[in-house]
Amino acid sequence: MIVCVAVVGHQNNPLYIQSFTEADDALKLHHIVHCSLDVVDERVNNPKRSGPTLNETYLGVLYPTENYKVYGYLTNTKVKLIMVTTDLDVRDADVRNFYRGFHAAYVNAVSNPFHVPGKKITSKTFAEKVSTIVKSFG
Amino acid sequence: MIGVGKIKQYSNVLDKPLGKGKQEVSLSAFAFLFSELVQYNQTQVDNIAELERRLEDAGYAVGARVLELLCHREKGNRRETRLLGILSFIHSTVWKVLFGKVADSLEKGTEHEDEYMISEKELLVNRFISIPKDMGAFNCGAFVAGVVRGVLDNAGFPAVVTAHFVPVDGQQRPRTTILIKFAEEVLQREARLG
Repeated sequence: MIVCVAVVGHQNNPLYIQSFTEADDALKLHHIVHCSLDVVDERVNNPKRSGPTLNETYLGVLYPTENYKVYGYLTNTKVKLIMVTTDLDVRDADVRNFYRGFHAAYVNAVSNPFHVPGKKITSKTFAEKVSTIVKSFG
Repeated sequence: MIGVGKIKQYSNVLDKPLGKGKQEVSLSAFAFLFSELVQYNQTQVDNIAELERRLEDAGYAVGARVLELLCHREKGNRRETRLLGILSFIHSTVWKVLFGKVADSLEKGTEHEDEYMISEKELLVNRFISIPKDMGAFNCGAFVAGVVRGVLDNAGFPAVVTAHFVPVDGQQRPRTTILIKFAEEVLQREARLG
């Protein structure tokens, strides 16, 4: 079950944060997303293996916390798509699929000529699309 | 999304292929829109440099979005981190999506290490435009230069991009060259990556 998704710009500025559960404190989820940004930067700057995996957009599990797992995805413009989930046995293929839909929704939101790059994403269509994708996950 | 192509004339409307979702915009529609863009900006500014800057800014916004879109459409899931990688990406993929063909040539500048040139016999945006003599060296290709700058900037390769006319013997209309000058940090990073 996904509890939170976030889109973070290339200067680590938040473009969109949405939590999907009422139980947990939204602030705690924001904090988890913020911490995961460090892990993303570390992965990008110090690759464990050089070669074809250096430029992968999908980063995989960033780090597991007490009851959450955090996944990351880096687009070509250094925009990070972070996803926090409570499922402990999620399949890699499912997450990749999720990110494909998420990236598509993000590209559509950014293609809006009235969207200022660097500002928060205010499109309602984007919010609805993301909710649909999240609900159909897992 | 912006994709520019030629109008296909079919004698029988039933022969027209069903749209497969490959976006092609009619050239005339784009030419009209672009000419209006240039005319509108002309009324707002006093000098040529400002006009060029405005066209470039318009192109920059397009470039940023095209990069996101193409990165998503490419099946490879790869990020470009090398200089040659991003240049060949612009030269083939971006050009193909925007103008329907790859750019004519990509060259490395001889005088400076950080200069690269993409040249085109005739830029699509300039096809129906002729520059009056009193405008000097102004080139509407500044729009395309802006697109390239948008792509490079958002991919992490800050650069200064300009469009120039280069006269060629044997041809009345000069060739257009997009000159890309990379920032210092890009070259340093490239040297570090070996």
